[in-house]
Amino acid sequence: MNNAVEFHGISRRFGGVTAVDDVSFSIAAGETVALLGPSGCGKTTILRVIAGFERPDAGTVSIGGRNVTALKPYERNVGLLFQHYALFPHMTVAENIAYGLRHRGADKREIPDRVEAMLALVRLQGFGARRPHQLSGGQQQRVALARALATRPSLILLDEPLSALDAKLRQELRAELKQVLAAVNSTAMVVTHDQEEAMSLGERVFLMQSGRIVQVGTPSDVYGRPDTRFAADFMGRTNWIEAQVTRRETGFARATSRSGLSLMVPDCSSDAIDICVRPENIVLSAADAADPDGMANSAKGRILNVALLGATRQILVEMPGGQQLLVMQANRVGDGLDPGKAVRIGFPVAACITMPASNRAAPNASI
Amino acid sequence: MNGTAKRRSDQVLGGAMIAMLALVLAFLVTPLLVTCLLAFDARSFLGPLPPPALSLRWFEKLVSLDYVATGLATSLKIAVLTTVIDVLVGTAAAVALDRGSFRGRGLLMAAFLSPLIVPAVVIGFALLLFLSRIGIVDGFTRLLCGHVVITLPYVVRTVLASLTGRDRRLTEAALVLGATESQAFWTITLPLIRSGMVTGAVFAFAVSLDDVAVSMFLTDPTTYTLPVALVSNMRASFDLTIAAAAVLLMAVSALLILVLERFVGFDRLLGQGLFRS
Ligand SMILES: Nc1ncnc2c1ncn2[C@@H]1O[C@H](COP(=O)(O)OP(=O)(O)OP(=O)(O)O)[C@@H](O)[C@H]1O
Ligand SMILES: [Mg+2]
Repeated sequence: MNNAVEFHGISRRFGGVTAVDDVSFSIAAGETVALLGPSGCGKTTILRVIAGFERPDAGTVSIGGRNVTALKPYERNVGLLFQHYALFPHMTVAENIAYGLRHRGADKREIPDRVEAMLALVRLQGFGARRPHQLSGGQQQRVALARALATRPSLILLDEPLSALDAKLRQELRAELKQVLAAVNSTAMVVTHDQEEAMSLGERVFLMQSGRIVQVGTPSDVYGRPDTRFAADFMGRTNWIEAQVTRRETGFARATSRSGLSLMVPDCSSDAIDICVRPENIVLSAADAADPDGMANSAKGRILNVALLGATRQILVEMPGGQQLLVMQANRVGDGLDPGKAVRIGFPVAACITMPASNRAAPNASI
Repeated sequence: MNGTAKRRSDQVLGGAMIAMLALVLAFLVTPLLVTCLLAFDARSFLGPLPPPALSLRWFEKLVSLDYVATGLATSLKIAVLTTVIDVLVGTAAAVALDRGSFRGRGLLMAAFLSPLIVPAVVIGFALLLFLSRIGIVDGFTRLLCGHVVITLPYVVRTVLASLTGRDRRLTEAALVLGATESQAFWTITLPLIRSGMVTGAVFAFAVSLDDVAVSMFLTDPTTYTLPVALVSNMRASFDLTIAAAAVLLMAVSALLILVLERFVGFDRLLGQGLFRS
């Protein structure tokens, strides 16, 4: 079977800016991929190359096994949801949805039924006669989605589909979007700069940095096994511990951090390493408790401050050598985790992601 | 400053604003009213107001004058032709200016809008020199050229205002939905700019009908517009036919404004887009 989309060495430059830099990837038919990266890293440009608005300076694009590099947008059957919806203001909702059907040569008699079906899919029955400006932001977003899906494109591209909405609506529509995409069963690429969105929508995540795709993997891969400091930082909060390997044993290595903590980490090839520990993998217990089970790494520290986030708390703990560690902890009543209190932190070997210190020099995210 | 003092200062400012508005309105409307009154004055000399008796004698004289009929015919022909050319050329120019990101776009924009700033006398004189240099000496063609130059900016501006960049996004949306470039133009771009085109056309028509300064340079002994004819005649012999002509022109303007209101609505007259987005 042919891949739904294939990029071979695509580059796109604007004057002196290389927006997309020698990018290659392929997306399997029916797959949903999240394209994730900081603002200005080239995500929209990649979508525009797929849709046919930008001609790449180098490389070829194939859709469904056909080389489409030189084809006009209307010669490819791609659905595109724009960042700002781009609904036609002078047409009703129904006319907006029917626009693609009319121009892709659908049978005239079937258009009204198809429009109704699309309205039902995005739960907007009865809104067909309204104008876009008579709808809320979330409703407009759903109309845009219905319009993009109406022609049954084999490939649907969504450019930050939820970014114009407030946080609560965003979460609702994210779940809805996932359902709709599953229902139509087409290949999809969702662009976002929100890692949560990327991980919840994408079966695979393409992580981008300054025009390049720097890591590809399932959400748990990219989150749990980042290749670079950039990837680790972009996917979520992390603690960084700079350390030196002192001894290697079977399956793990012993290391000493710059601040003097002795640690057990997974075996690694280089000596100078950066250790990444996610805040939710660190466990807090009473300072005088015995070493908790399974926590190969354990030490005493003192709580510096506590930030309440609702269901969770971010607790900053200072270790004796000056190293500070961020800990994510469920917000349980009466556990007495207050600033100034002495606590014991612990995390298992598996919670440590090591990378050679030489990775540190990698270009930083341009956020 | 405490609360009441703040409020007082607001009230004073509000009062001043209303007074200013009334003053401006008076300045705008009084001359029109006086002209209307004078046009119906039965006296043969310019006497004190109000006129003791009313008559239609100035209107009768106006329609009996040969040069008025000739001038009006020329004026209308020129205004209609100018408007048609403006809408075609101006719309194309505005769409190109809105879409293009080519070098010299700013310069081109300035060039298209410059006739609004350059003094009419300069435009008229320059056109006269230029047109005779390239061999256009026919009065009608000269007037048409001149009027297109001075009225084109109105169409370019109103159409540009109705485009304001969103056209490009919407056109892309149409293309990706399967429309060709020309289908996208007819179904998306044109409906979006229709109000701008109507507004610009009405402005262009009115300005063309009304122009004296540029036309003065471009007329020839047999081809002249109504305003030019009226001004020349007023210098030769002053009487109140000019007031009658003014009343007629006012009626035409009122008609145009009515048309605008029908098609576009007053609130959009100044070139906002047709739709809230
Ligand atoms: N038409 C253009 N002309 C010049 N530069 C451009 C153009 N389009 C994009 N760029 C540049 O290319 C780079 C990538 O832009 P792109 O829009 O793809 O970023 P993005 O990842 O979508 O960012 P965001 O998350 O902010 O939408 C940016 O540096 C941008 O300034
Ligand atoms: Mg973007």
